[in-house]
Amino acid sequence: MAYIEFRDVVKRFGDNTVLDHINFGIEKGDLVTLLGPSGCGKSTLLRCLSGLEQVTEGTIILDGEDITNVPASKRSIGMVFQQYSLFPNMTVEQNIAFGLKMQKTPQDVIDKKVAEAIAMVELTGKERAYPASLSGGQQQRAALARSIVTEPKVLLLDEPLSAIDAKLRKALQSRIREINQELNLTSIFVTHDQDEAMVMSDVIQLFHDGRIEQAGSPVEVYTSPVSEFAASFIGSYNQLSAEEFGALAGTVVPAGNVVAIRPETIGITTERPAEADGCYVVKGMVVDSVPRGNVLRYTVRVGATVLRVDALFRSFHMFNTGDDVFLTIPEHDCLVIPAAA
Amino acid sequence: MQQGVGAKPATASKAKTAKRRPWMAYIAIVPFFLVVILYELAPLAQLALNSVIGRDSEALGLENYIRVFTTPLYTQSIWNSVWISLLSAVVGIVVAFLAARFCSEASPRVRSGFTMVLNMMSNFSGVPLAFAFMILMGNAGVLTLIGEQFNIPFLANFNLYGSDGLVMMYIYFQIPLATLLLIPAFAGIRKEWREAATILKASTFDYWFRIVIPNLMPSILGTLSVLFSNALAAYATAYALVMNNYALLALQITSRFRGDVQTDAATGGALAIVLIALMVICTLVNNYFTRRAAKGREIV
Amino acid sequence: MSKKNAVAGVAPQQKTSLAGKIFLGAVALYLLIPFAVTLVYSLFVEWTDILPSGFTLRNYVELFSNTTFWMSIGRTLILCIVSVIITIVLILAAMYVVVAVNRKLAGVMQFLCMIPYALQGVILSIGIISLYTGTGTILSNRLFMLFGAYTILVLPYIYQGIRNALNSIDAEMLIQAAEMLGCGRFRAYVQVVLPNILSGILVSSLLAESIIFGDFVLANNIAGTNYQNIQVFLQANMDVSSGLSSAIVVVIFVVVALVTAVVLKLQNSSIQKETK
Repeated sequence: MAYIEFRDVVKRFGDNTVLDHINFGIEKGDLVTLLGPSGCGKSTLLRCLSGLEQVTEGTIILDGEDITNVPASKRSIGMVFQQYSLFPNMTVEQNIAFGLKMQKTPQDVIDKKVAEAIAMVELTGKERAYPASLSGGQQQRAALARSIVTEPKVLLLDEPLSAIDAKLRKALQSRIREINQELNLTSIFVTHDQDEAMVMSDVIQLFHDGRIEQAGSPVEVYTSPVSEFAASFIGSYNQLSAEEFGALAGTVVPAGNVVAIRPETIGITTERPAEADGCYVVKGMVVDSVPRGNVLRYTVRVGATVLRVDALFRSFHMFNTGDDVFLTIPEHDCLVIPAAA
Repeated sequence: MQQGVGAKPATASKAKTAKRRPWMAYIAIVPFFLVVILYELAPLAQLALNSVIGRDSEALGLENYIRVFTTPLYTQSIWNSVWISLLSAVVGIVVAFLAARFCSEASPRVRSGFTMVLNMMSNFSGVPLAFAFMILMGNAGVLTLIGEQFNIPFLANFNLYGSDGLVMMYIYFQIPLATLLLIPAFAGIRKEWREAATILKASTFDYWFRIVIPNLMPSILGTLSVLFSNALAAYATAYALVMNNYALLALQITSRFRGDVQTDAATGGALAIVLIALMVICTLVNNYFTRRAAKGREIV
Repeated sequence: MSKKNAVAGVAPQQKTSLAGKIFLGAVALYLLIPFAVTLVYSLFVEWTDILPSGFTLRNYVELFSNTTFWMSIGRTLILCIVSVIITIVLILAAMYVVVAVNRKLAGVMQFLCMIPYALQGVILSIGIISLYTGTGTILSNRLFMLFGAYTILVLPYIYQGIRNALNSIDAEMLIQAAEMLGCGRFRAYVQVVLPNILSGILVSSLLAESIIFGDFVLANNIAGTNYQNIQVFLQANMDVSSGLSSAIVVVIFVVVALVTAVVLKLQNSSIQKETK
């Protein structure tokens, strides 16, 4: 039995089904990301686990115990919220000590644990500061410390970094990952940002319309999306209908499927490549190019189809708009997946 | 994929609502409802009930309303209340518009000084206000004396104890209220609009009448409605000045219940419902025009 | 540091235009004259000519040695403080249910709390006397009626103050955060939410105090001479002695002005804190 199990969890708000028979387990110590667009149910599932929402049907098991009907305050689950949720009338120290006080921990133990937690989130020197005088990143770090200091069985993070600017965000992502590993603390992270999910997680649960669309390691989810939705949400796959792909590659794909091709798997050259075993080679024309970090993204028109192609940024080897080019597409990188209904 | 191994169909989770949302938690809201029912809703219901039980016939019907609308004293009271309230509200809003405009363009020192005066003087109403006006413009008032000495008929012959006096005092208490309500609206006028208008070759007239006033219209109308209701329900100022000896709705309603002779709850109830109806009509008309003027913007 | 900021804040502002100065000055004058005249009137023996004559503090001495005056002040303060406290307690308890138990009640609360704003004194007072006078129950007690009426009169102000304070700290989320740390909802409301909305409650309750302090309608209609508050006392004295009455007007105004000044100060400092 997994450490956390969701069994047939259903959540409805009125007639609106937000979670539709969710079943999965989470292993102890894992960092699991619930990934999906807003409104897909990922936050609701997190809140059901926390006890802040009640499930309509189904069971939630934590550490071998059915917690479906246990009140939130008795579940020993830590949570970091999307908005800044520090208590404004308490200092950083008092905020972090709050949970321990609720457990009636002796004062000397509180002092020791609070100091450790503050060090762990690198807020030393800010013990006596009030939340209003902290930056957003500092507030979320304090909130993180507050939720781990009570040594909860699970740490829930509900898009905690969405209001924080890009640079700090990277640092906090790795800090959260480190804490998860140092404390072997099972953590569930909700996000709508697939890059964030990629860097942080052991397992990604991809949500779509109240169901789990796909689950797996970041690499699995990235390289082999199981559906059109997964392909469009993860990475920036080129998606071609069966007819388009047929016209492009001359290969027949069963109707009702789409072909997904990652832009970085496509090769781009001026001359027709001499050796191209196991590859489709097509001729097209560059219509646009945009630099994206260390990659140059070309938009190439092939017949009636437009493909995005990523090539490493090499100044000595660039193509201009209007250039005729050859695209080399490895057959095994053309993923045939069912089209969305 | 870690699909739930051996997941059983969920047994309907019993008693969960009872456990999480116990009715006990609702106890805290009971005292509030109790007080609201006892002192807000039941008294209102009582007035409505009074109004539909005929004073003479003691039967359910519109007898009291018919009396209200056919007795000159009452029709005169309704009319006086409406026109005095409307006049004071319109004058109040015009003065307040200009004051808020100048105030928003003024230096911070002038602005804070002026809003201080507004805040302080908005409290100067009711009986103290009536008394101050008596000293100022009553039969032996300071301004009346000055009027007599310098031969200014307006001041010398000013009749404080009638509609002139009431209008004067109502305007007085409308101005600070209206200005305080309009100043925040002027804060919403962006400097860029003026710049954009100038670049587009709009005249000052165009700028004010095509941009500023249309944009402020929801606030202006909302304020107007507040002022009208405020004047309609005003009682202390008028009572202190003329006691019950004037045909004004608020005075007449109250004197039906606290009459020197005998109480007449039936007529009083009907008059009270008429007053409430006037306020509701005013709010509805205002909402209609405000929504039109807001043009899809959120009404603050 | 603060001086530098102040200068920087003022520098880019345009100067007040002459028309603006004149207009604002005229309005301020119009608003100030009635009170100013009353103040002068209260300080002189007589004012039967253009200028008053005979400076005196007699009116104030007389007023402050009048026990009826002190009694009415005492009654007014009791009415102010007790009614406002009752209202605060009622709304805080009710808002606990709204914030922590059932959000759907928010609309009902709002509706019920805003009705008195439209009703104002006249309708409220006659409704209450019409319902309870002569019923012979405890509810027909004039003081009971008066406290009930004041509680309702200040509902909108206290409600808005408390609701805004709760919204500004996102009370619902703070309760959830506390809950996740092992704290029950009611305890979280008391220990975490209440300390954070105290200043908001303070401002709105001071506002409510000044409304009750300035009330004549409810006091006169419901209690009248049985339980004279300061405004009723003033009204009763107006025909007797205009000198004494002018002193009462000044005292009332000064008290309310002081409360208003405190409210403005508190509001400004909270705004500054937020913008900082």
